Amino acid sequence: MAEAKNATAKVREYETVFLVKPDLTDENVDKVKDKVRTIINRDGGKFLRFTIWGKKKTMYPVAKQPRAIYIHAHYLGGSAMVAEVERNLRNLDEVSRFMSKRLADDVNAEAHQPQEDLKLSGDVDDNKPFGGAEREGFGGFDGDMDDDGGYGV
Amino acid sequence: MSTMTDKKRPVKKDSRDNGGDDMEGGDEKRGRGFVRRKVCRFCADKNAKVDYKDQSTLKYFVTERGKIIPRRISGNCALHQRAVAKAVKQARGLALIPYLVLAS
Repeated sequence: MAEAKNATAKVREYETVFLVKPDLTDENVDKVKDKVRTIINRDGGKFLRFTIWGKKKTMYPVAKQPRAIYIHAHYLGGSAMVAEVERNLRNLDEVSRFMSKRLADDVNAEAHQPQEDLKLSGDVDDNKPFGGAEREGFGGFDGDMDDDGGYGV
Repeated sequence: MSTMTDKKRPVKKDSRDNGGDDMEGGDEKRGRGFVRRKVCRFCADKNAKVDYKDQSTLKYFVTERGKIIPRRISGNCALHQRAVAKAVKQARGLALIPYLVLAS
């Protein structure tokens, strides 16, 4: 079905970020990766790159866990393929959350070549509260405005 | 689009640049309060992109509570404020940025 449409269908550039449970081993992560990769290649898409952001602390509990492994997938394909990828992600127990986004319309598939997967280390220090001391405020904002509702940080 | 908003904004360089006249009370009081010219960060720097994956940049546009900072304070232009708001909401969905931070 995809082949018949391919001649006219636009190739778009997409990315999907998904969160998997933090207690997954590297092999299990690889399994999830392979699954996504095969789906995309099977449905006439072109897989470009996985970036594992590593185990990061989430800002609120996700699937009752304070951390999650973030995986970023970058690929080319059509909208039906994205729906298929998302359907599969939904069915995987390891995946707790995902989001897909279109990056570009009508790209030239030849211009994008698959790249080596990247693996980042993720968070090293846990328990760092959000914001806090390292956050810079806006310089010129100091008590001049009386009508603001508590943005005076 | 964005260049238009840039042009419209009068360049109010503060009087402290030419330094000389301190006679009128405060040095940077003019009208009601001192107005610092705010520039949209994303217009000023063409390389800066609004990206929902970029936690550290987005943090700059939300309060410690997790609320999105309004345009009149952040200084973003309308176009980029919309992009920032969208990016913040997307980042919230991925737990990169909190929906809310409870007072502790």
